[in-house]
Amino acid sequence: MDQKSLWNRISDGLGIIGFTPLGLVLLIVLALLPFVSPFNQEHILRWLIMGAFLAAQCVAFDFTAGYINVVNFGFAAILGAGAYTSAVLANTSPVISVQPGLSPWIGIWIGALFAGLIGFGVGILTLRLRGIFAAVMAWFVGIALLGVANNLTNITRGPMGMAPRTFLETTSNRPYFYIILAMMLIVYITLRLVVRSRFGLAFKAIGQNFDAARASGINPTLYRVFNFTLSAFFAGWLGGFYAHYFGSLTPQTLMHTSKTVEVLALAYIGGRGSLWGGMAIAFPFVFGIEALRSNLTDLPGLHLVIYGVLMIAIMVYYPAGFAGFYAWAKDKLSGLLARARGQAQPIEAP
Amino acid sequence: MLLDAERVIKNFGGLTAVNRVTLQVDASQIVGLIGPNGAGKTTFLNCVAGTYPPSAGKVRFQGKETTGSTPEDMCRMGLSRTFQIPRPFPMLTALENVMVGAVFGAEHGSKKPARGRAEEALKFVNFPLALDTPAQRLNAVQLKRLDLARALACGPKLLFLDELASGLTPGELDTMMALILKIRDTYGVGMIVVEHIMKVITGICERVLVIQYGTPIAEGTPREVMQDPKVIEAYLGEEVVA
Ligand SMILES: Nc1ncnc2c1ncn2[C@@H]1O[C@H](COP(=O)(O)OP(=O)(O)OP(=O)(O)O)[C@@H](O)[C@H]1O
Ligand SMILES: [Mg+2]
Repeated sequence: MDQKSLWNRISDGLGIIGFTPLGLVLLIVLALLPFVSPFNQEHILRWLIMGAFLAAQCVAFDFTAGYINVVNFGFAAILGAGAYTSAVLANTSPVISVQPGLSPWIGIWIGALFAGLIGFGVGILTLRLRGIFAAVMAWFVGIALLGVANNLTNITRGPMGMAPRTFLETTSNRPYFYIILAMMLIVYITLRLVVRSRFGLAFKAIGQNFDAARASGINPTLYRVFNFTLSAFFAGWLGGFYAHYFGSLTPQTLMHTSKTVEVLALAYIGGRGSLWGGMAIAFPFVFGIEALRSNLTDLPGLHLVIYGVLMIAIMVYYPAGFAGFYAWAKDKLSGLLARARGQAQPIEAP
Repeated sequence: MLLDAERVIKNFGGLTAVNRVTLQVDASQIVGLIGPNGAGKTTFLNCVAGTYPPSAGKVRFQGKETTGSTPEDMCRMGLSRTFQIPRPFPMLTALENVMVGAVFGAEHGSKKPARGRAEEALKFVNFPLALDTPAQRLNAVQLKRLDLARALACGPKLLFLDELASGLTPGELDTMMALILKIRDTYGVGMIVVEHIMKVITGICERVLVIQYGTPIAEGTPREVMQDPKVIEAYLGEEVVA
C-alpha cells in the first residue's frame, strides 16, 4: 500500500512538469544516447541536435497554435530575429559594422527578449483578427522581418550571411547536444506549467470560442498577447542557440516561411494542443528524413513534401495526431488490463 | 435596481435593429422579452451584455453606468448570458466548459475552489451525462443545459436566457421552467428571458416587454400583454405557441 502511494506521488509530481514515467525513461535514454554507438558519431550527434532544436520549436509553436488556435506563420522569422540579435551582439569581427563582443550566453537572452517584443507586437496587431486572418498578418510580419534581415547589410551582411561566434571552442557536438536538450526541457516544462494553470484554460477557451470566452469573463487581449509574447520569447532564445551552434546565419535558411511550415507540420502530426506530441516525434522524424537523404536522394525540399503529405493525412484522418493516438492506445491497454484483472479476481477472492 | 437600460438604440448600417428600448430588472425578478423573429431581442441583449456597444442610450448595471463595457467586464460584474445557439468550447469536457465560467466569471476571486463550483452548477441544472464528456458530443438540448451551467458558474446577479426553451418537448419544458424558477429562488438573480414559447412567458415572467422591428409596442403582465391588440397584430401570421 505504502509503496503504491509513493509511486503515485512520484508520477503525480512528474505529471505537473508534463512527464509520464514512460516519458521520463525515454528522456533518460535520449540523454544517454551520445555515449552509445552509433549515436556517438559526430554526424549523428548533429541529427540529435537538430531533433532537439525542432522538438523545442514544436513546443513553443504548439503553445500558440494548439491552444489559442492561431497559426503564427511568422514563427521562424521571429526565431531568426532572436538569432540575429544574439549573433550581432556577440560579434567581434570587423566584417560587420558593430563589434559589441557580448558573450553568446548573455546574448541569447537579449535575443529572446527582442523576439518576445516582436511577439508582443504581433499579438497586438492580430488582436482583432480571427483564425486565418491573424495567421496571414503574422505571416506578413515574418516576411517583413526576413526583408529587414536581408537589407540591413551593414550589420547582418544580408543574403551573404554572417558567421556568429560559437558558444564553445570545441568542435565536438556532444556538449551542444546537452545545451539544446536542456533548453528543450526548459521550454517544455515552463510552457507546461503555464498551460496547467488557469492560463491554459483561458487559452483554450479563447481558441475554441472567442465570444463564449469573453462572455465567461476572459479578457482575450491579455491572454492572447501574453501567449504570443512567451512563444516568441522562446523562439528567439532557440534562435540564439542556432546562431551560436552552427556559426553560420543567412536569412533564407533560418527565417523563411518553409521553416515555419516544417515546425507546423511536426506539431500537427505530433498532436495539436498536447505540447509534447511534436516534441516526441521530432527525433524519429529527423532521423528518418536524414537517413532517407543520405541513402537515397538529396532532392531539395523532399522532407517538406513528406511532412506535407503526412500532415494532410493526419488532419483528414486523425486530427488528434500522435498524442491522440497515444491517449487512445493507453486507454485501450488499461481497459484490457482491467478486464484481465477482473477475470482473475473471482479466483483470488475469498 | 439591478439593471436599468434606457432608450437603447442599435443601428446596423441603415437598419435600426433596436429602437429606443427601455427596460428595468430588479433582483429576483424575471422579465420576459418577446417579439416576432428579427424583432431585435438578441441584439438588445448583446448591447447590454457588451457584445457590441449600443449606438445610443444608457445602460446602468447595479447602479453603475456600464454603457459600452466589454462582455468580459460585464460578466465579471455579474451579468451572465446563455446564447441562442449554444456555443460551448467543443474540445473541452463538460466540466471544463463550466470551469471556464467558474474560474474567470464574477466569482473569480472566490475562496471556494472553482472545480467545486463548476460541479455544483452542473448538478444544479441536472446535467445528464458524465462530466468528462467532450462538449462536441452533446446534442442541442444537452448543450443548452451546459451553457446554462457555464453561465451559472460565473456567479451572476443578472442572467440573460436567450431562447433556452426552444426545441424542448412539453415535458422538458416544465422541467426547464421549474429550473429557471429554482435559479431565481436559490440565488436571487434577476433575469431577462427571451422566448417564443408563450407558455414559458406566462408561466414564469412577472413582467413582459414586447418589441417589434426593434421598437417597444407593449409592456405589462403576461396576461395584459397577450390581450393587447398591438401585440396580437404583431404576431398575426405568426403561429403563437400557446
Ligand atoms: N451583427 C449584425 N449585423 C447586421 N444586422 C444584424 C446583426 N445582428 C442582427 N442583425 C439584424 O438585426 C435584426 C434583429 O435581429 P435579432 O437577432 O436581434 O432578432 P431576434 O429578435 O433575436 O430574432 P429571433 O427571434 O429570430 O432570434 C435582424 O433584422 C437581423 O438581421
Ligand atoms: Mg434572437
